[in-house]
Amino acid sequence: MAQLAEIVTLPARAAGSAARGTVNRTVHTLRTFAVNAVDDWGRDPELVGRVTALSRLRWDVTVGGAEHLPARAGALIVVNARRFALAPVFAALAIGDATGRPVRFVGRPDVAPVGPLLQRLGGLLPIAAELEGALRAGELVVLGADRRLTNATTGAVDHHLVGAAVAAKVKVLPAATISAPAQRAARVEIGRAVRPQRVRRGPLAELELADAVADRLDALLAEAGGAATGTPLDWLPLDRLPLDRSLADLLSVDAAPRRTGRSAETR
Amino acid sequence: MGGELGSRVASLLEDEPWVGSLEGIDVDPPRRRLRRAVFHRIVPGQHDRIVAEVTRFDPHVLVHVAVWEPHARANPEAARRLTDDAAISVLGAAAECPSLESVVVRSGIEIYGRRRGAITRPDERAPVDPTSEYGRMVADVEATAAAIGRRVGVAVGAVRLASVLGPHVPSPLGRFLRLPAVPFSLLADPPFAVVHKYDAAEALVAAARVRLDQPVNVVAPGAITVRQAIRRGRRIPVPLVGPEWAVARRAAYLSGSPIPEHLTELLHRGRLADPALAAEVLGFTPRIGTGEAVDQVYSWPTVLRVPAKRQVA
Repeated sequence: MAQLAEIVTLPARAAGSAARGTVNRTVHTLRTFAVNAVDDWGRDPELVGRVTALSRLRWDVTVGGAEHLPARAGALIVVNARRFALAPVFAALAIGDATGRPVRFVGRPDVAPVGPLLQRLGGLLPIAAELEGALRAGELVVLGADRRLTNATTGAVDHHLVGAAVAAKVKVLPAATISAPAQRAARVEIGRAVRPQRVRRGPLAELELADAVADRLDALLAEAGGAATGTPLDWLPLDRLPLDRSLADLLSVDAAPRRTGRSAETR
Repeated sequence: MGGELGSRVASLLEDEPWVGSLEGIDVDPPRRRLRRAVFHRIVPGQHDRIVAEVTRFDPHVLVHVAVWEPHARANPEAARRLTDDAAISVLGAAAECPSLESVVVRSGIEIYGRRRGAITRPDERAPVDPTSEYGRMVADVEATAAAIGRRVGVAVGAVRLASVLGPHVPSPLGRFLRLPAVPFSLLADPPFAVVHKYDAAEALVAAARVRLDQPVNVVAPGAITVRQAIRRGRRIPVPLVGPEWAVARRAAYLSGSPIPEHLTELLHRGRLADPALAAEVLGFTPRIGTGEAVDQVYSWPTVLRVPAKRQVA
């Protein structure tokens, strides 16, 4: 009779044991999550690891050109940004995952609760002094260009923030981010460090460097195949149509002002 | 020389080969046995006595540690008065000393303030923009010392310390973290850094040794949030969102852990600083990290049993 009772209660015991194990693991995870420390900038490596794992549900990111990044020194990585794509965030997570180094991104707000949460993920305020401090400390920092509707072209690169890299004497590298709203596959292609064409003593150095980075980003995006929507539209030969500008440029209403603005600023 | 930090600094200075004679002034007697140092117990408001002792001694180097953190050893009003009195008396008297070569003052990273949009991890080039009473106090001390340095022509260095923690250091942050139930900001829970009292004292001594003539940040490596500190100390976390902080402040005050303005700021906005210059200029990097210093907050014994050096019975 006792043996029969054992057999009857076995599934209940197994379920109870599994539930207990799950609860214990959850409690352990929560404790670990709460106890682990943040680094000097408030980035929580454990949280970043978890968010990176979670982000794989949304993005399947391939990183190329990671060998261009310095092994230990700081560097500013400028990426193009599509609207609502969180390009600097996913680029920072992906590059960090690929290189094993903590990678930060510029653009967290200074308002709770979003600001502190992004700080835990490695976010920095969009202030040149803050960026310069991180670069001087040997950190890799991702900076997003102005947002565009598509990945066809890049927006303007803030030369004040690029100036932080000039002041910190670190490399500035372009990185094309290619993602589509309806696709999981995404790519971050890091290019070679951009060197200024001329040696300037004044603020022209950062202005020209920002323009050069934007040009290199455009070239990287063109190599990557231009706009991608993840829909059959991508298969249409839009670039062969007798249009002065591509559909992507037409969609991207603020693409033209960047170029005029850039040349006007340079003048 | 009477507080925990001052006593430790005096003790370390006694071991420095470049230090000849050593004298100190404080309102409280030293917390540790000093072998060579001469101590004068003078209230900061007694300007005449302070001027007389300082000018008689005629120091080459002055280390001014007399900064009272609000709600550490005195309430905010008394802390402000004592700090102002000490700064005017001691620094003013030092200006009258012909042999004076260098002045080192204790300051704090509260001097940068935590206004919205302020740099998260300011270095020494960041503008001085205090947003708390303690921040304004240390800014005033630095300004007084700098003005005297310019007038007399001596080097003036400021050691900007993070919140000083350590065994038996009177600190509002340490007391707050040791409460059985600790409130924290659920929406922000920002990171902050501290410095252990031993490292703070060593930094002040190093600054005196190198005749520091600029401000430097002294911050322990790493950072921690209040929530993480609570978990490390196995305290009960009390998440707060906003208006209930007023109640929490009163409850903490009644529990013997008043929350001064700069601590409120730390709890809501965090407090970090870039210590890279200290390593370069002082040749000194704090050895005890922020997490370890916070761990020590929770492991302080209530009663210290010091064994006899020689067992006689």
